[in-house]
Amino acid sequence: MSRTWARIAALVPFLAAGALLAGADFLDEAGRERFQRGSADELLYYPSGLMVRQAALGYETAAADIAWLRGIQYYGEHRLTDQKFDMIGHVMDIVADLDPAFIQPYIFGAFVLAQEMKQPERGLLLLERGRIANPDDWALAFEAGFLQYVCRHDFAAATRYFTWASRMPGHPEYVERFAAFASQKAGNRGMAILLWKRVLATGNKYMQQVALRELKRLDEEGQR
Amino acid sequence: MIRVLAVARNTVREVLRERIVLVLAIFGAALVVASQILSPLALGEGKKVVTDFGLAGSSLLATLLAVFLGSSLLHKELDRRTIYAVMAKPIRRAEFLVGKFLGLWTTTGFLLAGMTLMVLAQLTVVHHETPWILLGSLLLTLMELGIVIAFVILFSSFTTPGLTAFFTIGVIVTGNFADQILYFGGQGESPMVAVLTGAFYWALPHLSTFNVRGMVTHGIAVPPERMAFAVTYALLYMGAVLTVAGAIFERRDFR
Repeated sequence: MSRTWARIAALVPFLAAGALLAGADFLDEAGRERFQRGSADELLYYPSGLMVRQAALGYETAAADIAWLRGIQYYGEHRLTDQKFDMIGHVMDIVADLDPAFIQPYIFGAFVLAQEMKQPERGLLLLERGRIANPDDWALAFEAGFLQYVCRHDFAAATRYFTWASRMPGHPEYVERFAAFASQKAGNRGMAILLWKRVLATGNKYMQQVALRELKRLDEEGQR
Repeated sequence: MIRVLAVARNTVREVLRERIVLVLAIFGAALVVASQILSPLALGEGKKVVTDFGLAGSSLLATLLAVFLGSSLLHKELDRRTIYAVMAKPIRRAEFLVGKFLGLWTTTGFLLAGMTLMVLAQLTVVHHETPWILLGSLLLTLMELGIVIAFVILFSSFTTPGLTAFFTIGVIVTGNFADQILYFGGQGESPMVAVLTGAFYWALPHLSTFNVRGMVTHGIAVPPERMAFAVTYALLYMGAVLTVAGAIFERRDFR
């Protein structure tokens, strides 16, 4: 009897180790599920920009930078995982509330909404908000023209925006060229390639990656 | 005036003894490290991020230093009883307060200027651009700092260091909410509340007048009329607060 008990006792550490491993695996699965659910809600409770503006006590532009950096991290993380960017519009709205003159969040937010989330209307709304706050900024009008041309294929609207952009102070020379091309109804594919090549010239690595992908797609379409 | 300057000089020496120059070194190191870490993450907006954080950080540090160093300045004189030796000399109490104010404002002002110059140097070295318009923000932040220090001197003329810091931070917070206080006061049905909040609004320092950080970060120079208005407003406000502080301090019993 005692020998049987001794054998059972010898098995106890192995059984305990097995139970611990199974438990750890279960906890890991449960934790992973919870983490994934959490990441879906991760910016849901991000406060509104107007509230943050009051709480920033005069340091709104620094708070806008923090929200901007957080938005980029959010985009980067989701780009590597589930390709869902549901909260990007919300974050860019916060940045716009905090620092309405900060142009890049309107452009990047609109680009992601239109190109990655296939919601060009929301992207154009964000750009419109930026244009109301910064009526003399050529880049916002140019981006609106870009989205009209590439995403909505509304060439008349694109021509209008490019022309507006070409009349604003500080615009580069290529804006006038695009206004002319668009008004001459240049071939859709050729114009799209030129527009995507302009995106390659920006300093935004994420937008450059999307531009490369789109240029490759247009190239394959052309070879067919 | 000579007596006031003598007190101011002593105050500068006293504050420097707290080794606040260390703050400059820490700020400079933090700025370089933050710039290296944040610039690549900002997708081409590194210059804006460095400028924003640099200006916000320098203003915040200078304000906090003014509040915490200033709130114990008078208390130390009373605690060590050195005030008796000063008061035995031909100097009025109000002059003593103004000297303390000027000493603290000069020291924290130099600190603020040093930090702003570090931001300028960082932008020049890393981004090859020297945005001199940041100096407009420096001048107005100096004025804001002056108002904060005037309040520090006012509160420390009649209360403890802890309460001085608490009240001054309260003034800074409400000074940034001044517009909201007026707005919400006007939304109620009671005309009495509206009058009271109106009076409170005009009495509070309008600190947003001095906030041009966003403007200069976006490359817009501060218009001269705004600069002139803000400087005049600040000087008058400081004068009023120091007058009240002097009146309170004249009647204070040191025992």
